[in-house]
Amino acid sequence: MRSAEVLDCHVLVVGSGGAGVRAAIEASGYGETVLVSKTLTGKGGCTTMAEGGYNAVLREQDSCEIHFEDTMKGGAYLNDPDLVRILVDEAPKRIDDLLQWGAVFDVTDCCEVAQRPFGGQRFPRTCYAGDRTGHEMMATLVERLAGTDVDVMNEVCALDLLKDGDRVLGAVGLTEKDELVAIRADSTVLATGGGTRIYDISTNSSSGTGDGFAIGYRAGAELIDMEMVQFHPTGAVYPYDARGRLITEAVRGEGGVLKNSLGERFMNRYDPERMELSTRDVVSRAIATEILEGRCTGHGGVYLDVTHLPRQQIEEKLPVMLEQFLKFGVDIREEPMEVAPTAHHMMGGHRITENGETTISGLYACGEVAGGVHGANRLGGNALADTQVFGKRAGEAAGKSGKKSGRIDQRAMDAQEARLSAFFDGEVVPSTVARSLRTAMWEGAGIFRTAKELEKTLGVINHLSSLRLKASGRSNLAECCILQNMLTTASLVVKGALIRKESRGAHVRKDVTQTWDPQTSPYGHSYQSLTQSGIETGVKA
Amino acid sequence: MKKMNVRIQRFDPHQDEKPHYQTYLVEVNEGARVLHVLHAIHDEIDPTLSYRWCCGSGQCGSCAVRVNGEPVLACMEEARDGMTIEPLKLPVKKDLIVDLEPALEALSHLEPGDKPAMPSKEEVELIKPLRSCIECLACVSVCPAMDVTSFAGPTAMRQNLRLALDPRDSKDRVTDAVSKGLFTCTSCQACWKVCPKDIQLPGKAIEKLRSLANRKGLTLPRHQEVEKLVRETGRSVTRTEPTFMEQVGEVIEPYGPVKATVGFFVGCMYNQRLPQTALDAMEVLRRNGIRVIIPKEQVCCGSPLIRTGQWDYLDTLKRRNIDAFVFRNIDTVLTMCAGCGSTLKNDYRTPFRVLDINELLTKYGIEPPARLPLKATYHDPCHLMRGQGIRDLPRELITQVVDLVEMPAICCGSGGGVRSGVPEEAAALAEKRREEIEKTGADIVVSSCPFCEFHIMEHTDRPVKNITTLLLEGYREKDKKKAEKAV
Repeated sequence: MRSAEVLDCHVLVVGSGGAGVRAAIEASGYGETVLVSKTLTGKGGCTTMAEGGYNAVLREQDSCEIHFEDTMKGGAYLNDPDLVRILVDEAPKRIDDLLQWGAVFDVTDCCEVAQRPFGGQRFPRTCYAGDRTGHEMMATLVERLAGTDVDVMNEVCALDLLKDGDRVLGAVGLTEKDELVAIRADSTVLATGGGTRIYDISTNSSSGTGDGFAIGYRAGAELIDMEMVQFHPTGAVYPYDARGRLITEAVRGEGGVLKNSLGERFMNRYDPERMELSTRDVVSRAIATEILEGRCTGHGGVYLDVTHLPRQQIEEKLPVMLEQFLKFGVDIREEPMEVAPTAHHMMGGHRITENGETTISGLYACGEVAGGVHGANRLGGNALADTQVFGKRAGEAAGKSGKKSGRIDQRAMDAQEARLSAFFDGEVVPSTVARSLRTAMWEGAGIFRTAKELEKTLGVINHLSSLRLKASGRSNLAECCILQNMLTTASLVVKGALIRKESRGAHVRKDVTQTWDPQTSPYGHSYQSLTQSGIETGVKA
Repeated sequence: MKKMNVRIQRFDPHQDEKPHYQTYLVEVNEGARVLHVLHAIHDEIDPTLSYRWCCGSGQCGSCAVRVNGEPVLACMEEARDGMTIEPLKLPVKKDLIVDLEPALEALSHLEPGDKPAMPSKEEVELIKPLRSCIECLACVSVCPAMDVTSFAGPTAMRQNLRLALDPRDSKDRVTDAVSKGLFTCTSCQACWKVCPKDIQLPGKAIEKLRSLANRKGLTLPRHQEVEKLVRETGRSVTRTEPTFMEQVGEVIEPYGPVKATVGFFVGCMYNQRLPQTALDAMEVLRRNGIRVIIPKEQVCCGSPLIRTGQWDYLDTLKRRNIDAFVFRNIDTVLTMCAGCGSTLKNDYRTPFRVLDINELLTKYGIEPPARLPLKATYHDPCHLMRGQGIRDLPRELITQVVDLVEMPAICCGSGGGVRSGVPEEAAALAEKRREEIEKTGADIVVSSCPFCEFHIMEHTDRPVKNITTLLLEGYREKDKKKAEKAV
């Protein structure tokens, strides 16, 4: 038996991306805070990979009202208006925090933070640090974190939440030494990011496995709009083993154009007004259609071309893209990139209040693991803002919440022990199951969906979930737990997609004909918890 | 799909006493990276293989490993058949996972003042290149100074400079850097060459920090003395015997037809301390048709001042040196000091071409020397191998005279002002050099830099020879044999 270490703190934050670190910084002002990171803090998560930018209203000519409208329209009006209002109002304050703490964003000649145009927005309001914006933010946040008293536990995998009755009372984790650790906390913040690694082709880092959705769901929290998966229009197609790698929207923001194998700028058939800077759902479907209809490149994508831009602009504004493609043998100053859609972001997630409270007591959520902010389709540049705005709110609310009594239930710890031990007697290694899951999700729950395909996919997930996972050594225990989280997340996505019998934003049901547009849809959020699932109805005003 | 054999260093602290190697035959797709090979092994063959990775796109710095000895990001480096994958040279936790936390935690963090002023566009442009660091710690894993002395390391210096340049930060990062070993860096540039983001750490971070330290009066006394000497004499070292330039005329004609004419930038060490080596080189050039012009008003290249952050007098030196060659309409300048060559090539904007003597001799070809019955090892001067990218040419020359036994290319400790400023560190690094020299069993040590030669000489019992001296000995042997035949 492993001996479980027990720690005690006021606020436990699970996740070390932009939202998690921001929450921990904020919470540390109110009491002892522990940050649990599956990776090395600052290196994991998807914030550090985010390239393009951070949306904030900073100029007189822009307004929060326009940012609000752009976000609602982009989200096919499925967003929670109250959350969107907070996002647009507070994004400028939160970027200001980052600037105070040392962030080095690109600036204009007048020393103002520079902004570039991004898809679906009527004003160029995307602030950036070249094409390594998220990395710049994480570097800043990690530096700030180092200046706090937060106790950072790196390379600890959160397995499940601990509960005292209906209330969350911390979490149990598996350390890098493969030992159980129980962390008792007055409040727990989930900031575990998204989960599109359940798809064969994904932009996500190794940590995008949906842990927070699954952990929260198992603890009884309600999740909304889990079917809303954003497929980013431009992922790499070569080398094959690195497929899905993000090609930032900033490429199009800087003037990059999309062309099919016939050399046609095909976006004029799909959105002649906004062209390449249409919303991501539209551009992804356009590219997918071109590919399905055979107008694709040798590697099965379409062309994304910046060769008409001045070389200096590419070198200064897209240095990471330039460097990455050079490594893969393509000089984007001389030849076009090849791209295809890639699973990128989960718009759905935990149902939260304005302060990040989930539907169960003592549990908060922020960042990509929370739902409602981005509706049915997220605007590029809104996720980084989301991490900061709601990371701060969740951290603050968790910090301000009162001390709570309650002890860790030994039976819960024993159950975790038993769960882990069982893996040593398992039959199938997780990587085999993961591969089957990813393929099934890409084929059956991708950009275009039908009830028939979704049912089939759910069948595959159920079958895979019934297999007994095998840990070949101690180091594989976390992997087994993570795979269970991926299966749960996938099942939530597919069930959500079956529940929502309409096409909206990123979710397209080819087998449903509808008479309404997003603004007049009779449906609200889809919701799923251990006890209930369904979709909110009632025609909106 | 293609198959490849790879060898991986394995170590499980629960089971193994020491690391061992395991070979795998894996199948990956065309263009696969090292990371994809690791995935393939983990997913298809051996789930117990442990390695760290996150973003898979070169942005998080989690997956740095050594491939065939060189640190790379596994996610960006193309996989090759027959490669050996090992962890970075840092404390190993399991297999390819090393402990990054101590070095990451030691990095300084910004501490804002009460009313922080935002950086200007100029300041942003200065800070940005330092900010692209992904903290993979490849630089830390190759830094020779960190092995022998108390030095926080290249990326810690980068971070200190980044903070020193930022008006929002309230602390004295320069003094802090000095206390963390700013003056222990030998400018060997190993850190820069392995940096996946190509951050020029010695030049853009350490020398810049040293220049800021200079403004605060923190330059080491020994370095200040060198600066004074340069100002007073135009030379960074004192003379111990008649100088090279006192022993030669302004033009040295070759014995045979002229293949090329070059100006010779002598450098302080060869002029003042090792004139015989430079004379040997002239003899080799004469035999190989190179006409040499030696402007006598040339002075120190400024390298000792650049490396130690004393930049005030540089422009004067640069102008005097450039003028000396330009006035004689010289279009090619020859260097035989690796430090001078690297400085003229990288720190000057010269209206003429600069060629190291190894480049010159291999470019025009040399008369074959006789072979000597000796086994030699070659010490790569940092400022030749990394500073000028010259690695193979010296070997082409050496192997025409003697058999060559390789040893790892590590800094000898003489550069960056360390020999004068932190002599105990320079000695410790030279001691490591001596150990490597011993291992080769070589009879002689050959190099191509006066600083390295001078420094290594003090730490080994084997003769240390410049490459041109070796060539000259080959010619003398040839002449001797010819003379014997004639008799």
